[in-house]
Amino acid sequence: MKIKVDRGRCTGIGICESVAPDYFEVGDDGGLVLLREHIDDPQRAEVEDAVRACPALALSIVED
Amino acid sequence: MPVFTHPHPFTTDKDISSAEFWSRSFVERDETFGWLRKNAPVSWHPPLETPELLPEVHGEPGFWAVVRAEDVAFVSRNHELFSSDSKKHGRSVMFRPTDPSLMPAPTFLTMDPPEHTRYRRIMSAGFTPKAVNRLRGLIEQRAARIVDRVVGAGEIDFVTEVSAKLPMMTVADLVGVPEELVETFAEAGDRFVGADDPEINGGTDRTQFAMQQIRVLREIGVDLVRHRRTRPTDDIATALAQAEFDGKPLSDDDIQSAMLLLSVAGNDTTKQTTSHSVVQLWKHPNQKAWLTEDFDGRIAASIEEFIRHASPVVEFARTATQDLELGGQEILAGDKVVVFYASANRDEEVFDQPYRFDLRRTPVPHYGFGGGGVHFCLGNGIAKAQLRALFSNILTKLPDMRVGEPEMLQSEFIHGIRHLPVVIPD
Repeated sequence: MKIKVDRGRCTGIGICESVAPDYFEVGDDGGLVLLREHIDDPQRAEVEDAVRACPALALSIVED
Repeated sequence: MPVFTHPHPFTTDKDISSAEFWSRSFVERDETFGWLRKNAPVSWHPPLETPELLPEVHGEPGFWAVVRAEDVAFVSRNHELFSSDSKKHGRSVMFRPTDPSLMPAPTFLTMDPPEHTRYRRIMSAGFTPKAVNRLRGLIEQRAARIVDRVVGAGEIDFVTEVSAKLPMMTVADLVGVPEELVETFAEAGDRFVGADDPEINGGTDRTQFAMQQIRVLREIGVDLVRHRRTRPTDDIATALAQAEFDGKPLSDDDIQSAMLLLSVAGNDTTKQTTSHSVVQLWKHPNQKAWLTEDFDGRIAASIEEFIRHASPVVEFARTATQDLELGGQEILAGDKVVVFYASANRDEEVFDQPYRFDLRRTPVPHYGFGGGGVHFCLGNGIAKAQLRALFSNILTKLPDMRVGEPEMLQSEFIHGIRHLPVVIPD
């Protein structure tokens, strides 16, 4: 499973970063950087929380 | 070019358009919104009554009121269907009709993607979680100083002495305003936002008064951005200095509108949430005790309830881009659609006993930062950092404060407290 970012929707709010900082980071230019694309099983719930928390609905989890 | 807008037959006999309706209390108003949530989740109404602006001048036939949480989220998240582009539609994103000949300069608040994305991106660099963390120390220092000043102050207005102080200073810090100009900048921002209030404009002409404040904000902003072109650091002024559109740097007018947007968006929101939350915490001493017992462990979730309960921003408006059905109603392209966040925050379908101020709610999927989508409040992190810093000081340093009756602001846009008399004994 991996994370997909819809760049057209992402506005760099950074709620994902506060929920799952190992995966998401908003860079100094305001753009979202995926620190890791593939989701490790132990962190699955955390990443799902981050995806659900995105107010811009820019994140999703897709099959490899 | 303004899109043609259609009149519709009124779908209910409920009034949410008159000045009289908006002079009632939040709780009284929500009796009507509660009825609408239950019986007519999307309903057509005459335009907001505006004594200063004739309907012939603004030309709005009416608006659709969207009052349920689910629908507020739908409208907010589908910018392709519900547009914010004020230039294109000749209409602002406010419920209050505006004079089409006096439309304010566009900001990313009044744009759709992709234009919105380009503009917002410049500012969003100043609001990333890391940027908020960089400012946290300064916010905490300022909050401590603001509260220290009123310890033992006796009878004061909590709004002017505490709630109103931190938000504009934080805006100044975000922008990167040098310390010696922070007070001037903050004062101009506060006066600009309150320019309609005779208590603030001192009975002078409100337009002249507002223009004076704009000049101050513009001058400080433009000077600072110019300075940052050669001495960059990590503030918003630097981001504005480095921004380019089509190979050209931002104009002085662009910088001015950035300063105005920050002053408006960063001001009343946090200020009102502070005042409302003090009222609620003092009304519910058991909740206050519960929070104080484990402040660090409980404040983050409590802040979400502060914001839900306060609902400082009542509404925003959109324009439908195509004919569509929502809540059983046929909305036509060009119609004005108003999303009432304050109503969504009292939606019984989402919040159990929505009137209760209950810090133990978890999670609190509130609409205080909007209904999601691309216009979700950019300042949400900085607002939470301020509320945390303020309440950590208020709860520890003002335990014996007595809180009086709030004097409410009459507004269809901001759920506000004008004054809050308190007594802080020695």
